[in-house]
Amino acid sequence: MNAVEARLDRLRGSAAPRAHNARTISALASNPGCARRAVMDAAGVDKQRVAAHVGHPAPFGQSQFAITRGNAFEAQVKAGGCAQLLRLLRERLRLPIPEVSYANLDDVAGDTSNKVRHARTRALLARAAASGQDAGTLFDHPLLRLRAGGRAVYLEPDLIAFQLRGRFHVVEIKSFAVIDGQADGGKVAAAVIQSAVYVLALRDLLAELGTGPEAVSDEVVLVCPKDFSNEPTAALLDVRKQLTVLRRQLARLDRIEDLLAQIPQAVTFDLEPDAAGVPRRDRRALELAIGAVPARYTPECLETCEMCRFCREEAAGSTAALGRATRDDLGGIDDIGTVLELARGSVPPADHQAEAAAAIRAAARMRGEILGATG
Amino acid sequence: MAQLAEELERRMEELRAEIRRAVIAGDRARASELRRRLRATDREWEEALARLAAPQAPGGPGPGAGPGPGADAGEPAGRRGGALLTVRERVHQALTLLGAPAAPRLIVAVYEAFYAGELPAARLTSLRRDEERSFRSAPHARPYYLCAALSADLLAPARGLLAVSTWPMERRVIGPLSPRVDYLTAAIGVAERLLATGQPPAAARRLLWRFAVNIPGAASGPAGLDPGQVAAAARAELAVHADADAAHRAAAARRALDQLDSAGQLFGGGGLRLLRGGAAR
Repeated sequence: MNAVEARLDRLRGSAAPRAHNARTISALASNPGCARRAVMDAAGVDKQRVAAHVGHPAPFGQSQFAITRGNAFEAQVKAGGCAQLLRLLRERLRLPIPEVSYANLDDVAGDTSNKVRHARTRALLARAAASGQDAGTLFDHPLLRLRAGGRAVYLEPDLIAFQLRGRFHVVEIKSFAVIDGQADGGKVAAAVIQSAVYVLALRDLLAELGTGPEAVSDEVVLVCPKDFSNEPTAALLDVRKQLTVLRRQLARLDRIEDLLAQIPQAVTFDLEPDAAGVPRRDRRALELAIGAVPARYTPECLETCEMCRFCREEAAGSTAALGRATRDDLGGIDDIGTVLELARGSVPPADHQAEAAAAIRAAARMRGEILGATG
Repeated sequence: MAQLAEELERRMEELRAEIRRAVIAGDRARASELRRRLRATDREWEEALARLAAPQAPGGPGPGAGPGPGADAGEPAGRRGGALLTVRERVHQALTLLGAPAAPRLIVAVYEAFYAGELPAARLTSLRRDEERSFRSAPHARPYYLCAALSADLLAPARGLLAVSTWPMERRVIGPLSPRVDYLTAAIGVAERLLATGQPPAAARRLLWRFAVNIPGAASGPAGLDPGQVAAAARAELAVHADADAAHRAAAARRALDQLDSAGQLFGGGGLRLLRGGAAR
């Protein structure tokens, strides 16, 4: 493992490592095939700075308005000893009336350091797991820890884990609306995978305390505003599939040496900052270094990865840049130019392209008929 | 003019001491007369202050530019609307109605629903710190202080809650069940105030409705909102939690009275020292 650590340190260069968080872990799970992201995250590279240095700064970070809105909604749901949340849990999960115990883990007597908060979370959850029914119901902002890529990652969930008839449930509060029982699929998927990270971390913590994984429910509670109001509504979501994906991804992060073996030894993402911290690395050299690690760009990356603009430029002209569905439909054809040539019939398809080529021709013919001309 | 303000400050200090003596002696008529005079003096002081601040306003904070930000009476007299009370008095009124430690947001909602005038939420952020400073410089000089609620386990200030120093310690400590108990207590306080008010303002009914939807059996719809029913439903749930909560709080209150000095009892103390002591065992 030491050789791997040294290799990762060399990849990162002189900068301090950046820790994983729930967002980076869930991003990995959403694009498991991307070696570039896996390697850069494992090495703790500051992707934002690297991307900016090669001229493709990420359009990234949550909008301040969205953060404020999210915090306000969360505060509203949790106000008055989680009054609104208690109502939802009583109605949806038949939480018994006496279960109202509340513990705020935002800080421990004013101390907000991760170590102290994690220790306190652990102590309270241990007590709850050991004595069952009457030892705590709502845990506001617990601080969990998960091992990812050989490092301990603190996860500061904006959620409450609570105990319901002897099982812990992860509660995730999000401020996107559920309208007529429907919510934005992408946002729900992101919330689900993020909750799955918390479920995993909570199970890890309980496992250290000698409690089995069945103590944490596979179902998470998602709380969102209902329709066009501020009224919260809750839904139970199954995260078993995401848990499987995450576990595989984390195991893969731990076997990062397999990925490293495919990368030339000389590659590094060091920005060579001067004394004032201004990057001095030759831009072209850095581009080549990034290019040496294969990426797997999909349009979804634009929402989750700091390297997205660089990868998109790199992937321009390839069918993958058009999204997963298009790439799968055009299986075996990597290049948009080839697709167009096949559509025009100017080159004969190779054997492995025959099926896709027939579909492309049919599409081109239909387009021609509709537009009254041949594209 | 600075002398005038200082003189008024001395006068208010004296009045407060006299009020305290009158309250202790049980002379309520005299106490309320003194309070009226204190409020009048306070108004004069505000005006003196406004006159002091006016010429300095363009030049930024000059020497002695009035009280620090958020001091409880630093508001120009003109912006007060109908209310003649200071921020701390308004907060005290709202907390007394609720009867339990509460978050600033709820305090503002209650004040604006039941009393004329407004209570700017921004003014509440530094209130606790100002009260603590005042208490430490002249302990017990005021008849009451707006203080912290203490977490039952660590006896540290509970985040974002205000309480009144004259409440018994049991009411000012927050055990695991206390957030819910205090919520129900506040709902009962609001409901009873509505019952006592002949023509309740619409804002007050909305406030009660917000409580009622989160209490089982309190209301079927906004039209059929009945304060008596809300209070009864809140009492019914309160009965479930009351004994366990009271036991927690009594034990914590005993510890607080044993372990903390008088400032600590109001504004919190102990904290990590106690936690470490607890973890070591």
